[in-house]
Amino acid sequence: MTHPSSALDDTIHQRVRLGILTVLSESRRADFGYLQEVLEVTAGNLSQHLAILEDAGHIQIAKAFEDKRPRTWVTVTRKGRAALASEVATMRALLDGLGGGQRS
Amino acid sequence: MNADEARESLAFSEYARKRARDDMGRPWLALVLLASLSVVTLSLTGAAVSPTGLFWVFAGPLGAAAIALYAYRRNRSSGIESSPLAYVAITLGLLILAYAAGKIGFAFQAPAVARFGPAFVAAAGYLALAWIERSWTVAAISLALLAITVAIIGFDLSSQQSKALLFGLYGITLLAVGFSLRVGRKQLL
Repeated sequence: MTHPSSALDDTIHQRVRLGILTVLSESRRADFGYLQEVLEVTAGNLSQHLAILEDAGHIQIAKAFEDKRPRTWVTVTRKGRAALASEVATMRALLDGLGGGQRS
Repeated sequence: MNADEARESLAFSEYARKRARDDMGRPWLALVLLASLSVVTLSLTGAAVSPTGLFWVFAGPLGAAAIALYAYRRNRSSGIESSPLAYVAITLGLLILAYAAGKIGFAFQAPAVARFGPAFVAAAGYLALAWIERSWTVAAISLALLAITVAIIGFDLSSQQSKALLFGLYGITLLAVGFSLRVGRKQLL
């Protein structure tokens, strides 16, 4: 028998990465500046988290020039969407198991 | 991982979810546009077979285009994109169904259907919008509109009286909704 926490995905379990996937799963796509503002992280920090998620296949990053300015758009993949749903469900199950399942 | 960490992570995820939904724009403009369209629908129900009905041929696509343009510009500037297709689809669906309800009512000589059909269609449209937005507020408004329409039918008012009352109630209610959502957005920002 395995502990429920073993089902947690270390790649997306981190707070910022969880936030990135949550924002992206609600939208068609979001740009780098928006994610930085909402998640209140530095550009360097956000870049690192995005790279980890991209390497894991959870997101796709597209860079483009719009109105002569560089813009980075981020999109969640099907795998990322499924991973987020699984992660949230696992955390809720954990909380329920601990008897402190106050869902927000 | 302990309970506090899990709770904190879930709370942060929920915060991000709400923030994204809010920033994608509660479609206050779409609401006001739909409101004005539904009000105009009501004002035209008595003239659905007259040349005035041609108004819809132009007003419908123009309204949908305005919503699409608004959503597109807003998406581009805010940095988070949602699809405007659902809003455009609802607007077009409302226009077609409301117009059809008026036409059917007159064709089958059922004045009640001609007069109140569009009102029910408009309320149903708001219910669809409420589902898309996951908004209890919009859902409550939809139900309120249905209740108002049913109440007016129950009072058995004359055509002119009921039309005037519906016109006023719809206009005031929906403009108030648009205004409140607009204020809500400003507070968020």
